[in-house]
Amino acid sequence: MIQRPGFPISLIFPPQGHFTQPYLALPCLKAWLVQHGFDDVELVDANIDAYDRFLSREYLTRARDRVRERLPHKRFAGRAQLEFRELAAFRAATEAEVSADALIERIDDAKSIVRGGAFHDIERYIPATRTIYHALRLVSAAHFPSELTPHNFTTGYANDRSREVLAATLDETQNPFIDHFRTHVLPDLIARSPRVVGMSVIYGSQLIPALTLGRMIKAALPDCHITAGGGFLAYIGAKLMAAPGIDACLDSIIFHEGESPLLALCERLRDGHELGDVGSLTWFDRSRGGVRTVTNALGHPIKLDDAPPPDFGGLPLARYFSPELVIPYDINRGCYYGECTFCTLPTVIGPGYRTRSAATIADHIVRLRDELGTRNVNFITDCMPPGMIRDLPHELIARRADIRWWSDARVEPKAYTPEGARKLHESGCRKLLFGFETATPRLLKMMMKGQSLKSTIEVATNCARAGISVTFYAMVGFPTETRAEAQATVDFLVEHKDIVREVSLQTFHIDEVAKTYREPEAFGIKILSDPAADLQLYHDYEAASGMTQTEAAEVFEDMMASLRAHYPLFTGDNIFFFMQKSHYFLHLARGVTPDEFNDRCRRRAERRASAGPEAALSVGEDTRLLAVPFSYTETLAKLAHPLARAARPDFLTGRFVESAENVAARELGAIQRKERVLVYCGETAEFAEIRPDGARALDALRQCGSLGELLDLLPAHDQAARANLTSFAAELHRLGVLTTLQSASARA
Amino acid sequence: MTKNDTPKSEPKTPHGEVQRIEKREAESAPARLDFSKLDLTVEKVEERISPSETNVFDK
Ligand code: SF4
Repeated sequence: MIQRPGFPISLIFPPQGHFTQPYLALPCLKAWLVQHGFDDVELVDANIDAYDRFLSREYLTRARDRVRERLPHKRFAGRAQLEFRELAAFRAATEAEVSADALIERIDDAKSIVRGGAFHDIERYIPATRTIYHALRLVSAAHFPSELTPHNFTTGYANDRSREVLAATLDETQNPFIDHFRTHVLPDLIARSPRVVGMSVIYGSQLIPALTLGRMIKAALPDCHITAGGGFLAYIGAKLMAAPGIDACLDSIIFHEGESPLLALCERLRDGHELGDVGSLTWFDRSRGGVRTVTNALGHPIKLDDAPPPDFGGLPLARYFSPELVIPYDINRGCYYGECTFCTLPTVIGPGYRTRSAATIADHIVRLRDELGTRNVNFITDCMPPGMIRDLPHELIARRADIRWWSDARVEPKAYTPEGARKLHESGCRKLLFGFETATPRLLKMMMKGQSLKSTIEVATNCARAGISVTFYAMVGFPTETRAEAQATVDFLVEHKDIVREVSLQTFHIDEVAKTYREPEAFGIKILSDPAADLQLYHDYEAASGMTQTEAAEVFEDMMASLRAHYPLFTGDNIFFFMQKSHYFLHLARGVTPDEFNDRCRRRAERRASAGPEAALSVGEDTRLLAVPFSYTETLAKLAHPLARAARPDFLTGRFVESAENVAARELGAIQRKERVLVYCGETAEFAEIRPDGARALDALRQCGSLGELLDLLPAHDQAARANLTSFAAELHRLGVLTTLQSASARA
Repeated sequence: MTKNDTPKSEPKTPHGEVQRIEKREAESAPARLDFSKLDLTVEKVEERISPSETNVFDK
């Protein structure tokens, strides 16, 4: 028998997280384990691995075939109307059918544009990014009703009910990760036979994939101890470990900061000792027959300044969907302020606030810069304290670190002075994200933000003047907030659009760890609980005054519409820059100023809006049309309604409100048959909907070659025909479905 | 054969409605259409951004 040397450990980041840069937790844990004598630690980013494979010609071809088999669009052909419950399937079936071939053809190009030199070419970047989004819709359609996007993974199963979560780990029709893990993750793991697998579960969208993988590893490697930790499990871990059947997927969960518990766990397992004294560990004791859940006492957090820099060794750094690597690095853990009544971040990392010294940070950053060959850094911090805002630039400048960085921040007027902001910029700071939340002082007080509107805008102005791009986090639907107050927030944001470049707008949620949940009376709310949801973290609530949750969701739509009308980065499809983590920052890092980037976005939006009936307009080589018996746009509008959104489990809350689908079906009603044609242009990755007559017009345009040539065929005196055709062509040009670009084959 | 040499095959789909609009021999069809009478309405397909997609901190 071959002796297994050492003590192999595999640390795995399960899907779904974003795909533009690596996450930090596992590299920190690896560095800590290695520093303490475990030298065989492997990092596996199963998330980027899955995205990269799903977004391949071969996988998309399979997905297309699977949609045709499971969800043929023809099933809707003879229908007179579509009920609300059928809309999502109709959408998935039709858009997959019309776009699949072009997506298969273009996916490799799209990935290489986003990863490579054409990233900075806005006219290539945006269609490429959109192609990636649509390709994920094809993958989703193949696993309907699941939805995998760059930001989210949901299935038809509720994330807050353990029975459903466990069922999802076994359902290959909805869970694309079962096949993926079986064919692409498990074989390597089996060959390696790790003694410990540690998974980082930061988001609710990772829960089902993580448990799926855990279950498969346990079946294949019964001697391997499977543990998991991370932000999301800090919230629901205790409930999860009490749920029947979870022991088939996991052996333990680590709460809060992972370094010390994971090290202790590995030491005990290596030495064959009991796990009872591993701090912050909840584990399944199988020693006496049966399975008993044991919750150990909380351990002590580490002294952060003693922690080594994160070790990214082994991660597939070239596979992330960005042209350059952005290194995440943790300055501190916890929040030095820690008072905000809605905030749950302290729960994730555990009690207390700890920081590395500015000198240590600068040393580590220079080391990572040289090792990894990149100057882009994302400082991970709940917010930087004033002393660090002063000291860190000094240390970075003294070492000539010459990096470009971005991070979260808290409004600290004494630190973000004009001089302070200049120093930050000089040290490489290009973007800061502040918790603005609301323009209503009354609500700021209830939130205990400890900041005034005046100081917030002063800080933002100083940063903007220094050349730092400012993002505001904003919130709608805080208990008692009225529509007028939400409007005041959006008015304020629009008024300051020359200072603030991006707004991360969220609807307010109540989770079980925030003060709003623990002291509902103080906020005038009544918390509603769902007894069937044994993993429930987020709750509905009734407010004595102010907007209801549904109203807040509606107002969110209005606020987004205003922001999209006024913020160049949010206008039309420019919003892709905002939505891909670090992508806008990478432009700033290359020396583009926030003003210049804003101008680019503005000009692009203007160009699109003013696109006209140019004679050279033509139908792209891989433009496809699909006759559909119902309106696709009407379907989309219904599905985007807040009531319809509430009928699906949401990634952030993982909630699945049982009555929501009935309410949506009743309120939103069915849609009636309408003969329409769905068009997909592969070149621009744009959809549009036209009438059967429009399809005839496109056919004619295609036969003639260009709009100019078609117009030449029409009698000069037939002004009505010419006007109808030119306005049709201009509209499709504005929507990106007709282009003056050379077609793919002509380019080749 | 380089990538550019790859012949572009026609999509092999059993689904007749999906048309790769093909060049037809007869140039007469466009001329026969009365464009003044066609319903050339265009509906814009717009993805709305959901709250979960605006959190740059998270995802
Ligand atoms: S919202 Fe920000 S400043 Fe407030 S407690 Fe949370 S992390 Fe700290």
